[in-house]
Amino acid sequence: MGVMLFAGHAMAQRTVSGTVTDENGKPLPNVSVVVRGTTTGTITNEDGKYSLALPANAKALVFSSINKSPIERQIGIASLIDASLKDEDKSLQEVVVTGYGTQKKKDLTGNIASVKGAAIANTPIQSFEQALAGRATGVQITVPSGVLNAPPVFRIRGTNSISLSSQPLIIVDGVPVASGDFSATSAAGNALASINPNDIETIDIAKDAAATAIYGSRAANGVVFITTKRGKSGKARVSYNGSVSWTSVYGVPEVLNAQQYTDFKNMAAANNPNVNSTNPAGTGYTKFATATDANGNLIDTRWADIVYRQGLSHDHNLNVSGGNDNTSYYFSVGYSDQEGIQKKNDFTRKNILFNVDSRINKVLTIGGKISYSNELNLQSLGSGSLSGEAFSTNGAGRTVFNTAPNVGPYKNDGTYNVENGTSFNSNTIGRMNNSVTVGFYNPVPQLDLNRSNSESNHIQSFTYLQLKPISWLTLKSLYAIDYLFVDNEVFQTPVHGDGATLNGNASSTLGKNKRWTWANTAQFDYIFNSAHTVSALVGNEQDRRTGLGFGLNRQNLSDPAFNVLQAGFVTPNTAGLGFGENYLLSSFGRINYDFKKKYYFSGNVRNDQYSAFADKASTFWGASAGWEIAKESFWENSGLGNVINQFKLRGSYGKVGNTAGIGDYGIYSTYGSGLYGGLPTLLFNFAGNPNLQWETSSKIDVGVNLGLFEDRLRIEATRYYNDIKDLILNVPQSPSAGVPNNIPSNVGSMYNKGWEFSIAGTPIQSKDFSWNSTLNITTNKNEVTALAPGLTEILTATSLETVSRSAIGFPLGSLFLVRNGGVDPATGRRIVLNKAGQPVLYQFVVPAGQFQWTNPDGTQYKENGVAVGITQAKDGVMFGNTNPKIYGGFDNTFRYKNFDLNVLLTYQFGYFIYYGSNAGLHDMRFWNNHVDVLTAWSKPGDVSTVPRPVYGDNVSNGSGLPMSYNAFKGDFVKLKNVTLSYTFAQSLLNKAKISSARLFVSGQNLAIFTKYPGPDPEVSSNGTSNTAQGVDRNTIANGRTILFGLNIGF
Amino acid sequence: MKKQIKYIICLGLGVGMISSSCNKELLSPVPQTSVSDATSFDTPARVANQVNSMYQAFKSGNFYGGRAQIAGDIIGEEFLNETTNLVTGADVWNLNPTGTSTNFVKNMWAQAYYAINICNLFIDGMAAKGSSVVGATLANNYNGEARLIRATIYLKLLQHYARPYADGNGSKPGLPLRLTGIKESGASALARSTVAEVYTQILSDLNFAETNLPLNYASAILNTTRAHRNTAIALKSRVYLAMQNYPAAITEATKIVPQATAPFSATTGVAHALQANVVNVFRAPYTTTESILSMPMTATAGDNPGTQNQLGFYFAKSTGNGEFSLNPSGIIGNAGWLVTDARRGFNAVVSAKPYLNLKYNGGTPFTDYAPVIRYAEVMLTLAEALARTNAGVNAKALALLNAVRQRSDALTILAPATQTDLINAILLERRIELLGEGMRNFDLMRLLQTIPAKGTAPAKGPADAGYIWPISADEMSLNPLMTDN
Repeated sequence: MGVMLFAGHAMAQRTVSGTVTDENGKPLPNVSVVVRGTTTGTITNEDGKYSLALPANAKALVFSSINKSPIERQIGIASLIDASLKDEDKSLQEVVVTGYGTQKKKDLTGNIASVKGAAIANTPIQSFEQALAGRATGVQITVPSGVLNAPPVFRIRGTNSISLSSQPLIIVDGVPVASGDFSATSAAGNALASINPNDIETIDIAKDAAATAIYGSRAANGVVFITTKRGKSGKARVSYNGSVSWTSVYGVPEVLNAQQYTDFKNMAAANNPNVNSTNPAGTGYTKFATATDANGNLIDTRWADIVYRQGLSHDHNLNVSGGNDNTSYYFSVGYSDQEGIQKKNDFTRKNILFNVDSRINKVLTIGGKISYSNELNLQSLGSGSLSGEAFSTNGAGRTVFNTAPNVGPYKNDGTYNVENGTSFNSNTIGRMNNSVTVGFYNPVPQLDLNRSNSESNHIQSFTYLQLKPISWLTLKSLYAIDYLFVDNEVFQTPVHGDGATLNGNASSTLGKNKRWTWANTAQFDYIFNSAHTVSALVGNEQDRRTGLGFGLNRQNLSDPAFNVLQAGFVTPNTAGLGFGENYLLSSFGRINYDFKKKYYFSGNVRNDQYSAFADKASTFWGASAGWEIAKESFWENSGLGNVINQFKLRGSYGKVGNTAGIGDYGIYSTYGSGLYGGLPTLLFNFAGNPNLQWETSSKIDVGVNLGLFEDRLRIEATRYYNDIKDLILNVPQSPSAGVPNNIPSNVGSMYNKGWEFSIAGTPIQSKDFSWNSTLNITTNKNEVTALAPGLTEILTATSLETVSRSAIGFPLGSLFLVRNGGVDPATGRRIVLNKAGQPVLYQFVVPAGQFQWTNPDGTQYKENGVAVGITQAKDGVMFGNTNPKIYGGFDNTFRYKNFDLNVLLTYQFGYFIYYGSNAGLHDMRFWNNHVDVLTAWSKPGDVSTVPRPVYGDNVSNGSGLPMSYNAFKGDFVKLKNVTLSYTFAQSLLNKAKISSARLFVSGQNLAIFTKYPGPDPEVSSNGTSNTAQGVDRNTIANGRTILFGLNIGF
Repeated sequence: MKKQIKYIICLGLGVGMISSSCNKELLSPVPQTSVSDATSFDTPARVANQVNSMYQAFKSGNFYGGRAQIAGDIIGEEFLNETTNLVTGADVWNLNPTGTSTNFVKNMWAQAYYAINICNLFIDGMAAKGSSVVGATLANNYNGEARLIRATIYLKLLQHYARPYADGNGSKPGLPLRLTGIKESGASALARSTVAEVYTQILSDLNFAETNLPLNYASAILNTTRAHRNTAIALKSRVYLAMQNYPAAITEATKIVPQATAPFSATTGVAHALQANVVNVFRAPYTTTESILSMPMTATAGDNPGTQNQLGFYFAKSTGNGEFSLNPSGIIGNAGWLVTDARRGFNAVVSAKPYLNLKYNGGTPFTDYAPVIRYAEVMLTLAEALARTNAGVNAKALALLNAVRQRSDALTILAPATQTDLINAILLERRIELLGEGMRNFDLMRLLQTIPAKGTAPAKGPADAGYIWPISADEMSLNPLMTDN
């Protein structure tokens, strides 16, 4: 029987009753049913039923229960009011990390996106950023290639700097950490790989000034807060997470086989009258011929099979966590052994983490974290895919498609197939029966004998002391260290390759990057009159970094059998010398205020002093406000309140700064040491800028958060605008000023603006089946608005080729190319467009009486009466932007009984990629070519995209003259991750004393829908460069992975 | 409650004070691997090393370590281009470099002005602090060296980037005259002074140098590689020759060539004189008293001209790359220059072509010193100045001419009959004696002579476009007050 409670004043009353069930229709007992604004209420019985006498002015009933989201129902004239309660949406009760503290997600007025650690655990990644694509609005991730552990391009709301880094600030458990590639070898060494993704609880990405200004001078690129797992009180829980996976390369271009190559190159040589393709005794005899191996079979080498492999990886993590009421701990150990798609590119990590928090008494809490990680980044053959490697002679990416297929890696006697010190180009791959050199290096001896490794030992630890002398005051002091020791080791064999001319080359260098941080904060939390919630924070922080490097480089082996640095060499040199230090001293404060959870206000301010800048102190601030309309009584009383349960308007504005990657001594002018006839000199060699300042970003963010149908559908929309000024650019001075360098100056400006939309919901929810879906859409427009006097453009090279140009009025790093006009059907020549858009024809070999550059009618091309050629500088145009205009993800999870299927699609639209490898694939020198050259122009009237093949021509394909023939739209939709899992039923597990078990299979990069002809439209030959994105020149592709995994909890 | 609050405040203040008060010095780190400009004049050793740095900048392969001399020769008719390589001056030889030609037009301009700035920064720094650190005598010496180096740089720049003095008496556009050190941005704009104004500054600097430089140094190598009083005098004779101011040239040169008849030598300061064998001047240790100023080179990386900048690389064929061969229609075709002349020994036929094969024959790593000025040139300068200002055949001029000739060819006695013949004989002797030392362009320009055709390269007269070089395109785009040639 229901229990009736009588309120103070009992008047003539109505009675209302009903049934309360959960989302699956099951009756819920002990649910509290209360008239809103009063203490009149009752609870449901074991059948979920209730009956309540209403006071006269009762407007609404509030149903609430533990672990369920409370809901309200308008009473109106009804006498039967049922309610269905669903599990508390933890996402609203959750806290997000906001810098030196946390805040409930629903109280946020800044813009912070959260990604749960579970979403990125058990994926075949080395560092967490690789799994963030498509998971948060405003966040764009590009994994640059299949090289393991290369730092992904990580952009929050566009590219926010030109000369400094645009990568965000990474804070782990309140401590800023080292990020970026610390390896000095051909292996990539992302420092963030030291954080085992399986140890991450949440990732909170702060995007606007209000959320980031607490980090002041380092916040302009956004701030990413990583929280590692901590223990919870209770019985010790042990869990094991393991997986095994296979990764293969995809998108390798299809090139000619041995016979096709031989016939095609001989045909091209015959088309070039300047090439001797007929007289074996004459000079420059150029003839291609196949060869047979020791068994008499035709040598037809698919170099992709030599360089790539199917990589097998396995990953094991074991953790134990628990605690009692006062102390909790989390301990984990992990081992990850990953093989990349390129042979001998491996990543091995061993890490251990221990977090403990202990409340000593009512006032004092202490705690700390110890984390140690050892990462081995291994590589033998340079991939040609890291920044600066695009034209490396030994680059694996290019070797695959430019080495002739009619030669093999070994000679018939079993030795390496290399030319050595004869009349031919020594130190190249052996030409076998061809009469000319047909490749650069032979990759096999380098794969076998070379090393280019980087080992990191990374200690990240902190300890804190927290005092809570009164309930509303928390004092905390935290001291942290981040020591990263990087051991780089390179060995290049004298047998072949880069080490051959030096007769063996070995380098070992050590980088010691040490950092300590000490932060003290005082936090005040109080609620006045049950309506005014105030939270205030003041604090200070010191951040000290030193970087030291030293090492040895030795050349010229005394015995070719040696292969370590410590063996006998003739020539010693120093290597890897480096010395740097900087110091940041700050104080900061924050205030958060809300009135009845309806009106929110928050403000941050930070004063930073940084050793690398002139004006030693600068102040940064951000302010935000929010209005939760759905909490207003007029809203709750209207019909809309039943549909829209959250309607928050929010806006923020602030100014933050950027220092990422700035040199330590830019304000000093310095003299360096040199020699004059053996005597020492002190030479003025660097003009600094004694007035050097931070880059400043003013950010506006305006948005609305909507929750409909009790948060069954959540919509967020945001408009953002980042106005960046004082960008540091190296400004050239006139040569007669005699200054030795371009002086770094705060002169540039740029903006990023766009929209962010997130639509998340549960379209289907029933007992056995549910479907959760989240769609993220972000738009971004980037434009450079000012450079410097005398600096009208910034050209950024991809090693030996320049296609990236930044100029006022265009997005940063746009492609600057000569326009391709196709192939002339009458002559088979390449047509390019001059600056005015008129077609000009090019022929590589110029017969007597003809011209190299002609008008379509064959007359010589002239400008102002002077015969000239087409050049990139003169005739290039800004062809397109390389940063996507729209990007995001579409994440769906389907649950049927114990099965879960998660599908994540990521997409990027509205950008171009310069597929430089395509130029190489159509290069008419000895280089092997894409199979589409078999459809090249051969007789008048032919229509083809490939010009008449003429041996030696490296202009018509876009190598000698960068052209839009090799530029393509990069738009794609990628099936980034599909995971199917089965969670074992509790009943089964109880017998085995296991508390949870889950089996899953997943695939990464399973499919790409794109018109881009290259391997993967998510690519960067220039690493995380700001001004040279969207270039794919000789990179190895990405990998496609299938993974099987198991989570067991005890 | 009160006690708790007091306790908290003390703790908070304590923590705050500890953490914020110490470590303030970390905000101003001192560079540990280089010297900042605030302390670069603090010790005598640092000042002395800065003196060496002015020479180091002057000696760059892009300037007087190689390319400055090479440019001075390949413009003339004595050499033929063998490699058609723009990196090694094919366009300079062809008299058609453009403002964007990197290897000579842009690089030489940039390196020369960098060296000028080093000198200016030194002079400014000495005035501000360095003089008191090293004392007045040394300060004067060092300042003398700085101004001499600066003057020599301006003199060389005038020969390529400005019209000769004789063209309008120095009224034509000259060079931007940078006389103060620049370390910061914002100083890019400076208009060209006239040729005459630049010469005035050059002479002012060299006069200061003559007064303040030491008479000599303690060793032969320092006498060759550092400026001393006679260096200033010798350079002044070259300057006055360029200005066609023959009486002044005579005054200067006579200071170090005082005798009326052979043997000639300097009697004050470093005792410069002709060597018995001219070959010794160009062989290790390169420090005979005939060399007045040469740029030293060693095998250590950074202390030699650098790839494709070395005199030996350009002119030698057996030990270098033979970028330029000797033009059979040039001076080597002169019948009066006998086969037995020792200077013919610098030439050799290699692969059927004549090369200046043995003047700079060190080979890799090319440690031949790069000559700037030597005594034989001063003698011939004096001879020419005397010949031009005296009617008939001036006796001392003739004696000087024959001294140079007979040092290498003892059997020939030159006997020009008229003043004109004497002048021509002296000009011819300059071509023979100074072949490959960068003086041919100097002689053609100062007399406004037509640059003769050679091989496939055309002739250019003083009124033709391209008689002198265009201005560096970088200067044109970054210096708004600059005007092109």
